[in-house]
Formats: sequence, C-alpha cells, structure tokens
Amino acid sequence: MPNEALLDLTISELAPRIASGEVSPVEVTEAARARAERLQPVLNSFITLLPERAVERARELEAEVADGKYRGPLHGIPIGIKDNIATRGIRTTVGSLVLSDNVPDEDAQVVALCEEAGAIILGKENLEEFAAGATSNNPHYGAVHNPWGLDHIPGGSSGGGGANVAAGVTFASLGTDLGGSVRLPGTFCGVVGLKQTFGRVSQRGLMVTSFNGDHIGPMTRSVADSALVLQAIAGYDPLDPSTVPVPVPDYLEGLGSSLAGLKAGVPSNYFFDEVDAEVETSVRNAIAALQELGVEVVEVSLPSMQYVGALRAASLSDGIVTHEPYLASAREKYGPNVVNRTMAGQFVLGRDYSRAMKVQRIIKEEYARVLQEVDFLVTPTAPIPAPRIDAVDIDVNGETHRVRGPGSGFISRNTSPMNGNGLPAITAPCGFSGNGLPIGVQFIGRPFEEGLLFKVASSYEQVSPSRGVKREL
Amino acid sequence: MGISNETMRAIIREYGGFELSDEELEQVKPEVDSYIEAMAETAELDLSDTMSSRLLRAAEGGSQDA
Repeated sequence: MPNEALLDLTISELAPRIASGEVSPVEVTEAARARAERLQPVLNSFITLLPERAVERARELEAEVADGKYRGPLHGIPIGIKDNIATRGIRTTVGSLVLSDNVPDEDAQVVALCEEAGAIILGKENLEEFAAGATSNNPHYGAVHNPWGLDHIPGGSSGGGGANVAAGVTFASLGTDLGGSVRLPGTFCGVVGLKQTFGRVSQRGLMVTSFNGDHIGPMTRSVADSALVLQAIAGYDPLDPSTVPVPVPDYLEGLGSSLAGLKAGVPSNYFFDEVDAEVETSVRNAIAALQELGVEVVEVSLPSMQYVGALRAASLSDGIVTHEPYLASAREKYGPNVVNRTMAGQFVLGRDYSRAMKVQRIIKEEYARVLQEVDFLVTPTAPIPAPRIDAVDIDVNGETHRVRGPGSGFISRNTSPMNGNGLPAITAPCGFSGNGLPIGVQFIGRPFEEGLLFKVASSYEQVSPSRGVKREL
Repeated sequence: MGISNETMRAIIREYGGFELSDEELEQVKPEVDSYIEAMAETAELDLSDTMSSRLLRAAEGGSQDA
C-alpha cells in the first residue's frame, strides 16, 4: 500500500528525510501516483498523467541518494507542470484542441532546471484553454474542480496545479501568470502562489503567450516551499531576452526572522473597492495579524489605478497577434470564450496601444514611489472566493460581473496590475468563507525583493487561520 | 460609449481582419467596449511628457556583477 501520509508533508519537511535515505523517492512517487489516479476522476486536474515515467525517474533518483549524490531539496519530489509549458517528448496541449498532438522537442528552461534539481514530473496539468481565463473550465479537457468545493472553480488559468497542490497530489506545481493565473488558483485552492518579478525566471518554452507580462511561477503548500522552488528556477537565461542578470539571493535566508521595523502599505483605493465582505474581513484580519507581528501599517494611495484598464489595449493586441497563426489555420478548434475574447484584439488602435504603454509607465512609477515609503503592500488576492463552475455572472455588493469570456476581467482585477508593473506578488491563505472556501491575501514587493515577500508571508503563515487546515479527499 | 457593429465590420473588411458572424460580433463587443471605456478614462491624462514603459531604465534591473 502506498504511504499516502507522506503526501501531507511539505517539501521542506520531506526533503531531509529523502536526503537521509529514511524515505525513498520511489515511495513518495508511488504515493503521489496512487493519489493522482484516485483523484483524477474527481478533480480532472491533469491532461496527461505520467505515472510510469515518474516512477522510473524516482528509481534513478533513489539510486543517486544511495550513491551519495543528493541534488538538493527538490530531489525526489513529485511536481506538476502546467500544460502550456514545453516538455521534451511529452504532449503539451496548452489546453487546446489546436495543439492536442503537439510534442515539443525541447524542455522549457524551468522544466530543465526542475529536473536538474531532482524534481519528478508527475504529469501535465489541466488549464483554461490557451491559459486565457480564470476558471479552468476547459471546453476540450473538461472543468477542473476545486478540492475545497467540487462544484467550484479552482481559479485559473493554472487550475490543475492549484487543485493538485491543495489535494496533496503534487508538492509543487509550476503555473503561468499573465493576469493572476498562479495567484488566483493559489487563493481559490488555499495554497501559496508566487508571481515573481518580471525577468526573474525564464519564460523560454512557455507556449502561445504574450511576452509582455507573463511569468512562470510556483504553487506550493507553504511559503518556504515556494522559496525552494523559486531558488531552483530563478536566474538569467541568455536565450530569453526578458530575463535580467540580477544575482539570485538565498531565498530561505530571511525566513523566520522578525518583521519588526517593516512598514506595510494598505491601498486606500481600488484594491478594496469591489470586494466581497467575507474576503475583506479575512484580509483586514491578516493585516491586524501583521501588526501584532511588529509590522507598522499605513494607508497608501495609488490614484493611477483608475487608469489600469487601459493596459487591456496592450493585452488584447498581444493576444490577437499571438493567436493569429492558429486562428488562421484552425479557428474551428477554438472554444467560444477564448476565440471571442481574442478576436477583440483586432479592434485595438495603435494609438491606444501606445497610450497604454505610457499609462503603464505612470503606474510603474507610482508603485515605485509608494514602495519607497513602505516595504510592501497588502491587498486581497481576489475580490471573491471561488465561484461555482456553472456560474456565468456573479453579484458582488449589488454589482453583476461576468465570470468567463469577453468582459470577464473582474476576478483578476487585483492580480493583473502586477503583470503590468512587473512587481513580485505572492498569495497566502488567510482563512475561509462561510461555506468553507479559501481566501487569500496578496503581498506585493519591490522588484527582485522576493526574499522580503517570503519573509513576510512565512511569518504570517504561522498565525494564519488557515494554518494546519487540510483538505481530505 | 462603444463601437457599432457597422464600424467593426468595416475594420474587418478594410484591414483584412478575421470575419465574425453577427452572433460572434455580439460576443466580442463586451471586450471591445470594455477596452474603449478604459481608454476613454485616460483622455484626461496629458501623456506628452511621459515615457513609454517600453524604455528600460537602469534602475529597473540589470547588474554588472551578475
């Protein structure tokens, strides 16, 4: 019988046991495989499961430990990879029918780095079609279900990864975040989701995307695990011009140290303007908890956020250009939500694109100014807990918002600005709604200060009402 | 504020865009209207002296000792 109790551990807890030989990578992988196969009919979190490949790789890694070759904390750890990240010799569909038979001949840089660090790929995870949306209700591969409420979305677009990490199927999953697609599954599934600084991690091998704001980032069950995964994948990639040659620090260094002396900014506008009452209460409680941990909290104003919608001109334009070859050759294979949303890009004026780039500059400069006054910002990650899978619209404080398809930017209103300004942001669980759905708090930092975010989120994690609450399926 | 179906059809026709049925036009419109509305908000901004975010400043990354 596989030892499923191992799957309740975090990477930080499990790694020393693998290093010492007390636990074998094969034992862990067999347990993860069994849970993945048991839960796939429930969560629909994978598009392609790789059980035999994973166990075979675990045997090699087991032998390495026996030979004294321990690669580090990801050695022998089963992880998931979102199915828009290229994997050599393994089908990579991008959640689409158009690329249903696509088998890349090269690994994405992050995949190569994870495998080099000893991680074991358990499978390719389900997502929104072409990663273009926040529901992970895929018209071709089926809806991903949220482990905390099976009738609810896990968030998206990296929903399979969020569901897998929350359900203890994988210890970490690599997702992609162009508007919140790591942080939204993070908040809706009650796990930690990181979108690091733009340029910190190579995007090479991230398929059918806009290079103006996409990020590959980890979802994990603890902040320390997020730091461990970023440690493995961060760094300059000479073959990806979006990466920046900034040295990679030791992300574990600050964990556990005092937060006294730090100053947090709580935005007085935009981020709390259209938020569900239970979400606001949970996030305000998280802010109070930070104060008890020694953080000084001040209100800050970000007036330029009233113009943030203009960045849509850029994302819509990028979207139509990215999809043009596929739309030209295989439009009939698209689901209606993505095709309709993408088609809007052909109506964007070049003048507006240029204005959007200037607005983006104004927003970036405003955040830079505010982050001189405070060390980090605190906001709700999403304005609501996870909506139901069948929801078309949702009502929040008397306003109706679309959940999917054209005009559905509401869910990502608090996350997408950080794709525009490039700043690092992490979501951590901060409690539950009345019907038991997770809620997340978002910490936003200065460029390349992921270490500070880990320190803050890790300290908060110790006092969060979500601490120790696990989902048994 | 918004864009008419006629204008959308003309753009597709004159600029070689992707054809859309009437039903598809209706589906696409909310996204287009949302973008037009967002751009209208910026009309009050004087952007003449604002640099584009396309320009990279030294302080935004990069290090000699990487």
